[in-house]
Amino acid sequence: MTKATKTGLWALGGIALVVWPWLTEDKFLHHVGVLILLTAIGASSLHLIVRTGHVSLCHAAFMAFGAYGSVLTVMRLGLPWPVGLLVGTAAAASLAAMIGPIVLRLTGKYFVLITFLIGEVVRMAIVENVALTGGSNGIFNVPPPAEIFLSNRAYYYLALAFAVLSIGLCARILGSEFGRAMNAIKDGERLAECSGVPVVRFKVMVFIIACALAGMQGSLMAHYNKVLSPENFSGIISLNLVVMNVIGGMSSLAGALIGTVFMVMLPELLRGWVNLQQIFFGAILFATMAFMPGGIIEAARRIGALLRTVRAPAGAPVARPGAAE
Amino acid sequence: MTTPLLKVELLSKRFGGLQAVADLSYEVGDREILGIIGPNGAGKTTAVNLVSGVIEPTSGRVTLMGREVTGHKPHLLVESGLVRTFQSTTVFAGSTVRENLKRGAFRLLYPGFLATLLDTPKARAARQQTEAHVEEVMHWLGLERVGDQVASSLPYGIQKVLGMGIGLAAKPRIILLDEPAAGLSAEETDHVRDTIRLVRERGIAVVVIDHNMRFITDLCDRVLVMAQGRELAHGLPKEVLSNPAVIEAYLGKRYAKAQH
Repeated sequence: MTKATKTGLWALGGIALVVWPWLTEDKFLHHVGVLILLTAIGASSLHLIVRTGHVSLCHAAFMAFGAYGSVLTVMRLGLPWPVGLLVGTAAAASLAAMIGPIVLRLTGKYFVLITFLIGEVVRMAIVENVALTGGSNGIFNVPPPAEIFLSNRAYYYLALAFAVLSIGLCARILGSEFGRAMNAIKDGERLAECSGVPVVRFKVMVFIIACALAGMQGSLMAHYNKVLSPENFSGIISLNLVVMNVIGGMSSLAGALIGTVFMVMLPELLRGWVNLQQIFFGAILFATMAFMPGGIIEAARRIGALLRTVRAPAGAPVARPGAAE
Repeated sequence: MTTPLLKVELLSKRFGGLQAVADLSYEVGDREILGIIGPNGAGKTTAVNLVSGVIEPTSGRVTLMGREVTGHKPHLLVESGLVRTFQSTTVFAGSTVRENLKRGAFRLLYPGFLATLLDTPKARAARQQTEAHVEEVMHWLGLERVGDQVASSLPYGIQKVLGMGIGLAAKPRIILLDEPAAGLSAEETDHVRDTIRLVRERGIAVVVIDHNMRFITDLCDRVLVMAQGRELAHGLPKEVLSNPAVIEAYLGKRYAKAQH
């Protein structure tokens, strides 16, 4: 692909994202659009953590901090939404800054277990703290960021702006020298450290940035749904974000985004078969892990490479699948 | 005498009841190759781990260019000009040779978080300079033909040289090599030996650990022999080879007696 075609495709995709809501009056489609964009913020920020070699099962806890921080600021203190958004994001970032330096010294299954527990602790704290959070009943009548955002279509553009910003930030980080150091950490922590990378400090930085973005998503989600309940931030939500990364492909940001689209759209398409949904998900997850550990993106790369081998004359050099990035 | 590049004084490490290294002292001067040799379990790798910050010593002092660095973390030591290689996991197996070296050059490539995100002129200058430096390291280690190959696809001997290259990419003053010739064929061992000589010619001091006596005595200016965590002998390769205590440790008592 030449640079011009690439730029052209990006521009086309951008225009499509901006224009499509005007091609339909179906509010439900706009709603799915909002969900995909907001979830993409969570999945792509979790992807940053995954790229340092950690699978976090408490990403939803940081969304909760963002959501409650934002909603309480707006509803209790009567401050405007942008302040709420900042407070929520900062709350999530502070929690990450406090626990990150401790838990990021753990690796593999121990990190997974401790983050799962942190997620539960945060959820229980919300449930028990009835006076502040409304307990398991939650908070109702959460106001939108502004009157205009009562329409799904308008909210879509708000979500689009924040999604582009945060996914752009993730992509920029991964593409920078900092991202190179992250890859080094993931591939060999000891070797990275002996190459001069301050491993723990970098992991904590990534964790704080990713959790701040999750907090931001939490605020956007809460003011969109207009209700807030601890169940919106349970372990299942965290797990779903991990699953998006796994089935999309853990090795690239695009994988996380593809996984998001897949995981958000599928339940909407399967609405008639609610009981079968979970079984279907489980089957897909198993199939992914068994047959394409690199996720959808790796499978697509392999198919692409295969097509090129078929088309190219024998002996011509062919891109190696998985060698990119 | 001028201050030595690296000075290690009475370094000790105890793991519970085991004295892994006891009262080890040595100095390494500019452009010097010091060999540390000893049978398996003599504490050679621990001696390197203590100096390179991978584990903290129980007591003793490490001074690098006149500055005390005892117990500093590895990434800080890289910053100060000391790098090391590993016996086993020496390279980023899934990445190309060039990418491996760029990762090794982190110290030179990384201009700070905001600078790299914004790709400031300073970041771009660092990248250009380092890219040139990485090409130079590849040329000088004979890796330029395999620059785009994935490290795991290379023969073991080349991977060992690449492991050294990762360390050298950071432009160190001194490099610590942990068994660079372990598991290599005679031919590959010679290649590694010649490469280490080239490294010294570039003005970089080397500390090399091995248990192959011929490899070490061929290569090094001075040799330190360790046994059971302690210094057994220390001197020129010739002196060390004829030291009865060394012969005894390596070949057994009877052989040592027969020599005298």
